[in-house]
Formats: sequence, C-alpha cells, structure tokens
Amino acid sequence: MSTTVTRTRLAAAAALSLALLAGCSSSADSDPASAGSCTPAKGKVTLQYWNTVPGMDKVVALWNKNNPDIRVQMKNISNDQYGTLGNALKAGKAPDLAQVGYDQLPSLRTQNAFVDASACSAATAAKSRFVPWTWSQTSFDGTGVFAFPQDTGPMALYIRSDIFKKYGLPIPKTWDEYAAAAKKLHKANPDVSMTFFDPNNAEWFNGLLWQNSAEMYSYSGDKWHVTVESDRSKQVAEYWQKLISDKLVRTDLAHGSTQMYAAYQKNQVASYVGASWGYSMFRDNLPQQAGKWSIVPMPTWGANGASGDWGGSTVAFMKGSRHLYESVKFNTWLNTDPKALALENKLGGLYPAANAGLRLPALSQGVAYYNNEKIFDVFASSSKKINTKFAWGPTQKTVNLALQDAMAKAAAGDGSLTDALSTAQAAALKSMKDQAIPATAGK
Amino acid sequence: MTDISTRVPRAVSSPPGRRRRNGGRPRAGTIAAFLTPFFLPFLLFYVAPVGYALWQSLRVVRRTGGQWGTSYTTFGGFEQYAQVFQNAEFWASIGRIGLFGMVQVPVMLFIALIMALLLDTPLLRLKAFFRITAFMPYAVPGVIAAIMWSYLYSPQLSPVIDLFESFGWQPDFLGPGAVLWSAANVSTWLWTGYNMLIMYAALQAIPQELYEAAKLDGAGQWTIAWRVKVPIIAPAIVLTTVFSIIGTLQLYAEPAVLRQISSNISSTFTPNMLAYAVASGNNYQQAAAISVVIAVITFVLSFGFMRLTSKKAGL
Repeated sequence: MSTTVTRTRLAAAAALSLALLAGCSSSADSDPASAGSCTPAKGKVTLQYWNTVPGMDKVVALWNKNNPDIRVQMKNISNDQYGTLGNALKAGKAPDLAQVGYDQLPSLRTQNAFVDASACSAATAAKSRFVPWTWSQTSFDGTGVFAFPQDTGPMALYIRSDIFKKYGLPIPKTWDEYAAAAKKLHKANPDVSMTFFDPNNAEWFNGLLWQNSAEMYSYSGDKWHVTVESDRSKQVAEYWQKLISDKLVRTDLAHGSTQMYAAYQKNQVASYVGASWGYSMFRDNLPQQAGKWSIVPMPTWGANGASGDWGGSTVAFMKGSRHLYESVKFNTWLNTDPKALALENKLGGLYPAANAGLRLPALSQGVAYYNNEKIFDVFASSSKKINTKFAWGPTQKTVNLALQDAMAKAAAGDGSLTDALSTAQAAALKSMKDQAIPATAGK
Repeated sequence: MTDISTRVPRAVSSPPGRRRRNGGRPRAGTIAAFLTPFFLPFLLFYVAPVGYALWQSLRVVRRTGGQWGTSYTTFGGFEQYAQVFQNAEFWASIGRIGLFGMVQVPVMLFIALIMALLLDTPLLRLKAFFRITAFMPYAVPGVIAAIMWSYLYSPQLSPVIDLFESFGWQPDFLGPGAVLWSAANVSTWLWTGYNMLIMYAALQAIPQELYEAAKLDGAGQWTIAWRVKVPIIAPAIVLTTVFSIIGTLQLYAEPAVLRQISSNISSTFTPNMLAYAVASGNNYQQAAAISVVIAVITFVLSFGFMRLTSKKAGL
C-alpha cells in the first residue's frame, strides 16, 4: 500500500515539475529581453565556456587554479563554431559563455541567444575598460550588456619595403596616393601588382566599408534600417572597381590560400591590406621575407583618418546561464586582466580589445620579422580611430554570401562592384523578410 | 534473439515438404527479428529526416515584438515552394548541373565502357594491374581528390600549367567559363573506374559459349564487343547512368573545394550548395523546400530514364 502511495505522489510531483518547467520555458520564450538576475550562487559553481582560441585551455587552467569556487570548463568548437552554438541553443543546452564574432552578434541576438548582463553592476562598469568601438558593438549601442569584447582586427597596410624602394614608390597616406602608386608600379613592371582583391572575402570588404563610415545597418524604433548601398559604400566600391578594371590589382588570389602565399613568395604582389592578426601570417608562412615587410597606417579617405576593423571576437553571455554573477566575474578577468590577456596573445595570437591589453609588454616591443618596428603601435592607433556607430546586420552571413557572389561576377567582368552592393542590399532585405525581421531600406 | 536460435535449427532440419503444408509462413516475431536491423535505421535515418524536411518545408517564420522579439514557426502552406520556384539562383544552378550532366555523364560512361571492354578482351595482358589502377581514384575521397586537382589547376603552383606555358599556352582552368568543366573533370576522374567495374562485372557474367557462337558466325573482337557484349550489359549501363544522374544532381564536394581557390564558383553553384548556403543563413524552412524539390527532380529524372530505357535494356 505504502509503496503505491509513494509512487502516486512521485508521479504527481513529476507531473507538476514538468508543468512548471514547461511554464518556465514558455514564459522565458515570450520575454526574450529579460535581463538575467545577478545573485551570487551559494557554494561552488561550474561554468561552461566554448571558444575557438588556440591555447585557451591554459588560460582557463590559470583561472581554475586561483578560483576554486568558480570552476570553468571549456570546449573548443573551432570545427563548426556557429553550427555547434546554434544546435546547442535549439536543444536548450547552450553554455554560460561562448565566443561570438562581432559580425554575428546581431544574428545571434535575433535568435534570442543572449542574456542581458546589465543586472550585474560589474558588467556595466566594464565599459571603460574596452576600446570604445568594441563596447558599442557588444552593448548594442548602450542598450544592454550582451557580451564582453575579446580581440579585434584593426586594419593597416602591410608593404614590401624592398619593392616600394626598388620602384621609387612613396608610402601612400590616402587611397588616391595608393592608386597612384599602383599605377606607377604597373607601368614599371606589369608582372608586379600593388595588391589583390579577393571577391570571395566579404568580411574584408566590409572592413573597408567600415573605414569609410559606410554604415551598413542601424536599428531605431522597432526595426532595422538597411543602408548596405549608400554613397559612402559606393565610393569604396567604385575605387576598387577602377583598380580592377585597370588591372592594377589581381583578383585571382583567395585570402590565406597557398596560392596567395605563392604570389607573395614570387614577389608578384607589393602590399597587403590587412588586420592586426595578419602579422603572424606573413611571419609564419614567408620566413624568407623577414626584414622586407613593414606595417603602416591604412590609407585614408580624406582628412578624417578613420580606420576599419576586420575580424575579432567577443565572449557572449548565453541565454540559459544560471550563474550570471560568476559569468561576469570570469568574463571580466578573461578579457581585462593583463596576465590573461598576455597569455591569450602569446598562445592564441589575440590582439586585445581591452585598453590594458594594448599596453602589454609583448605589444610594446619591436617585432624582429618587421625590422624591429613597433608594429603594434600602428594597430593600437588604428583601433582608436574605428567608427563606433558601425553596426552589423541580423542576417550578416546571407548578405556576405550574396555580396561575395556578386563581387566575383564583377571581378570576372559581369557587372560592377557597385552592382554588387545593390545585390547585397536586396539580399539583406529579403533575408530579413524571410526571418520576419522588421526592416526598411534607407535611414 | 531467443526466437531465432530456437526456431532456426528446426526449420533447417524439417523436411522441405512440411513448410509448404504449414502455409510457408514463419512466425511474425522471426520476420520482425530479421527486418528490424534494416527497418530501424531506415526509419530513423531516412524516413524520419525526409518527413522532418517535408514538415519544415511547409512552415514559415513569424515574429512578435520588434527586431529583438521572439520568432516562432507556423504553417505556411506552399509559401516556401513558391519562393523556390521564383528563385533565379535555384534555376541557374539546375541549368548549370543540367549542362554538366549532359556532357560529363555520357563522356564518363563512354570512357568507362571502353575501359571495361578493353579489360574484357583476351588480348590484354596485366589485367589485374589495369583493373586496380583504373579503380583506384574511387578509393580517394571526393574532397581529397578535389584538393589534389585544385593544385593542378592553380596557376601559382601547378606543374601542368608550367608545362603548357613552356609551349606558349596559358590555360585558365579556374576562369568563369572553364571552372564547370574543371569540376566535371574531377568527377570523371573519380567515378570512371567505379562505373567501369560495374560494367566489367556484368561482362564477366556473360557465358563464353556466346562468344564461341559469335566466332563461328565469323565475328571478330570488334563485332563481338559492339554486337554481343554491349547489348547484353545494357542493364548495367542503365544502372550506372541512373547512379550518375543522381550523383550529378547531388554535386557538392568538388565545386565546394574548388570554390576555395576560385571566386568563379558562387555559393549557389549547384542546388546542394544553394541549399547549404540558405541553411547556414538560418532559413531552414527554405533550405528544406529546396531539398525536397531537388529530391523530386532526382526521383523523376532517374525513374524517367529507367522507364524510357527499360524495354530496350531488357530490365
């Protein structure tokens, strides 16, 4: 008899807890913007942190050694970063913290992937610790705290000083001077190109748009404003279209491919428009060219001297985390503590988003491969000149693919880069409509 | 499990006549035991995903509460299919692989047939060697093959291009017009040996008496090949054609790898690449509809071809 009663009670309790669970999850679904609560847990806590950074296990081990009460378990998801995250979110098994690229933040926020950590005062207070443009990305222009910036890719111009010297090319300060140098070089030796334009690299092209303050998106009211096609973006497109049409730049090299390194190896390309993380690419892939490379600021569009960003990541507060207080604590240490930043820079090659990171000893010294130049000074000053108003779109991946396909057509002589911007604008509006995301064309 | 172990020996030991008297019906449990290993994975990994794709393809995304609101899916009828049919990129990709298939499949199968017939002639020596070398590319995974070929196509690295250049010709294997055929060449390299082996196996099954009879009637090797062997192995040729049609419609690995080095392969180059690109943009419902349409086209084309040729091929 007694066992039957217990069983019935258990069953009732189970049914009740199921109902509660169901109630919880459905209410959470209908209230996506809910800020998490920031109460410290009693006792020990284990956090899940997913990332793609080489050597991050060592950084996490350092934290675990000094913080026995907040244990962090990490998982490397570099095989399929967003696929893994997307599946975990669908299954309701997302980690507490996850690495998310700046350009994927709006897309994931649209999928209700994040929790707003602004309930924690420590989270909102972290603002002053990061380079301004990074915080405007992770806080969605100050409307919450959805992630902490981790690393950045401020852009600069890599030049082969020996080739520049050989052909008497001045170091270009503006894009016009860069085009003039490209022309001069082509005239002197048609087999050497100033640089290459990779049509299949929308991320790179977006960095160039960013530099010209061509804001591709903005959000005000209850909807998105799509301005992928604008006067400023067209100015960038027309500039590169002219270089391509005049055959002053190559379009047959894919960024980071063996073919690209081979072209640099054979002295066929004189410069590289790249980001901070590119410095190790040349050092590691073209060791014979040590001392021949130099890094100078990006050529600018006129007097304002703004720079652009290409790449970089954040560590986002994921929805479903039950330990927001501890997550903020670990995330703060991970991305602002000089010891952690130094290790991440050394093992993972991260160029920090934190102000403290820019002053790391390793980033204040000359780099042997680059003639002992203090190349990181160039990137640090680039990072400070990046437009804080630039925003990514909620369907960035789809728009990037559409832009790439159209840029490739333009590079093959079918249409122009300006047409590619129109295609990308249309793709942005259509993909947002498909996802029922309210949007309108223009400001 | 116990069912099988107790019943099987009895079935074996019983005289052949008894089974017939019992109506020849083994117990339902036995049937289930033998069929489960097939049907369970078939249901789980074939029927269920197809069913899920069908269901997804009939749904649309809706959202409440502005740009950061909550999304949900609801029944949308054939809205996703309407979008597929209006998608110019989709039809362009179908047209592209249609062209690919109409050229690559006949070329590949013709080469495979010639090679199978050559292997089958009594004149050829070192048969085992040629058979294995022709089949070897099939053992290379498609992605690896495509990476290998991408080095041969690449102007920066290819010894083949260097060789052509020494004769004053600069081929562009990755150009807008050529890249489709460069991909076709990889597929041909990969699959010719496999198709050859199917045809060769069919040739092996032909009784030698037929050849002797043909010889008595005055037929040479050439006549025997075209008048005796080819008609007899026609079913195998039809089979390889159907496989090739299916393979063409599902083309993915070769162009996806070549895309890494050539911007002339778009993200929507083949229907499968388009479906993948759409899914990676979180539009799973649209990707499901594209997949269903590809499946239906594949089904219609392969069964259409089988029906068209079944009488001639004696299937």
